[in-house]
Amino acid sequence: MGARLELENVSHRYGGDAPALEDLSLAVEPGELVALLGPSGCGKTTALKIIAGLLRPSSGDVRVGGRSVVGTAPERREAAMVFQKPLLFPHMSVARNVGFGLRMRKAPRKESESKVHEALRRVRMEGFADRAPEELSGGQQQRVALARALVTDPRLLLLDEPFSALDASLREEMRGLVLRLQREGGHTTVFVTHDQEEAVVLADRIALVFDGRLQMYEEPEAFYDRPATREVARFFGATNFIEGRAGNGSVRTPLGNLRLASAAPPGDVTLTIRPEAVRLEAGENSFDALITSAAYLGTQVHYGLETSGKSLRVALPPHVRLAVGNEVTARLPAESLWALRA
Amino acid sequence: MGGRVKIALLLAPAVGVIGVLFAGGLGAAFVQSLGYMPAIGMNEWSLDAYRQVLSDGDFLDSLALTLYVSGVSTGLSTVLAVLAALALRRSGGRVSAVVFQLPITIPHLVAAVGIALVVAQTGLGARLAAALGLIGEPGDFPALLYDRYSVGIILTYVWKEVPFIALVVLASLRGVASELEEVARTLGAGAWQRFWYVVFPVISPSVVAASLLVFAFTFGAFEVPYLLGKSYPTMLPVMAYDEYREIDLAARPGAMAINVLIALITGAVAALYLRLAGDLGRRRG
Repeated sequence: MGARLELENVSHRYGGDAPALEDLSLAVEPGELVALLGPSGCGKTTALKIIAGLLRPSSGDVRVGGRSVVGTAPERREAAMVFQKPLLFPHMSVARNVGFGLRMRKAPRKESESKVHEALRRVRMEGFADRAPEELSGGQQQRVALARALVTDPRLLLLDEPFSALDASLREEMRGLVLRLQREGGHTTVFVTHDQEEAVVLADRIALVFDGRLQMYEEPEAFYDRPATREVARFFGATNFIEGRAGNGSVRTPLGNLRLASAAPPGDVTLTIRPEAVRLEAGENSFDALITSAAYLGTQVHYGLETSGKSLRVALPPHVRLAVGNEVTARLPAESLWALRA
Repeated sequence: MGGRVKIALLLAPAVGVIGVLFAGGLGAAFVQSLGYMPAIGMNEWSLDAYRQVLSDGDFLDSLALTLYVSGVSTGLSTVLAVLAALALRRSGGRVSAVVFQLPITIPHLVAAVGIALVVAQTGLGARLAAALGLIGEPGDFPALLYDRYSVGIILTYVWKEVPFIALVVLASLRGVASELEEVARTLGAGAWQRFWYVVFPVISPSVVAASLLVFAFTFGAFEVPYLLGKSYPTMLPVMAYDEYREIDLAARPGAMAINVLIALITGAVAALYLRLAGDLGRRRG
């Protein structure tokens, strides 16, 4: 069973540059899978290396199971890491690779053998025990790397974009595998990725990091329904932003007075709504608009709407076909509108 | 097909130079070693030169000395280079550039003269030792040049070849070896375990490759033993040179036979290297 992981005000800077990580605080519960999400260069890999012990934070504390590990060498942290590249030991067979951690701990031979066998079975590589790493495909190598990390039953499992070098279909398969293994083993897992879709599919909670700072740490739905800032909303694909002023239970905007199901902070706000939540119908929060563009994307059609000098994007099922230049009535459902501080 | 032609054309100048100068020279040496030199009226093919050289005590002494000097120089250089590379792996590129790249640019000839100036009984080292009272007078300084153990030659080779091997080892230490070491760390391997189970097996092919190259070079190199070696026995390349300079042209096949034998031995080392490199690549840990 995994341990609870806490980062407290962790900062890191390389040399004299701007900090790679600033004041990062978050807690990961035992057995939880957290995705550290952000664009490349945002500091997420730095954070992971600090958790693994491969980097020492400039300041702040890292605790595993309630005890500070900042002074503990990586080899004594029981935090197994899987890297972007499989990095199998080229001079060892698949089975020797998987058993590496057990040999380093001087585990009894019989026990090691059965654990290695079991680990290879769990990643569906049982027939490959005696192969050399170079004989395996990239996806197979990464599965072996996963088995090698899991076989020691680590207190923390750290994954640094482990599938980014694989092609799309393989990536999907690997996600399923990681999810299953992580649930079965109950490992406390931190997964670094720049792919928001991957984070949403895998994570119990997502920690979104921009420029070394934690922007939002919530369940995946919250990033769509209740983004903390405009940048967060935009990172998760939101494109509709409407400025307004909140008061008396509604928000005054160029599109009229809009009612929200959730509370809006008083004063200037920015409303956001996802393109797929916009309805083309009359009712509450509705207005007339002109269709200015249409793009067929296979599973969806994206329309550009314009009204009162504002542009909005709407995503509709592909069977709804409207022509550019048509007048429509659009509605922003109260429960889909979310107010950000302007 | 077009690609192949292009590759062949691009390789042609290099292959041409190697072919004419190297293979041609070696071929000519081989032909002469068989006693075939029509220019001076030697038209008979024979293995006499080889028979003579191989049964010659001077040649065997020379061969033993050459194996000794090359072996010790290579062994010492390899150990020192690996230690130096391990010590400098975490330092920036600038330190290793100064420490390692500088000696590489200095010709062997200059290095030999430099070493001679320092370790000769009339040299800097002897005078310094005398001035410090370590020895009575400079003449008491141990004879390190033209000496039985070829210390001067070995020192020159070690000074020149340590940087070469170290740079090769550093490249592989800083490349994949350091990444694999991080993996090993997160899997619980301590410092010694990481070196023994991961770093050493990963760098050993390049260590072996570099040291075999050094062995082959020191085995066939002429200038350092010519300058710093004693007069008997001489190392093989010096012996071949002396025979070659012999006024009596009848000695020429013998000189060429020695050259061909040197080429055969270094060729065998190269074959061994290829074999080992292949084995190490396939070895299971």
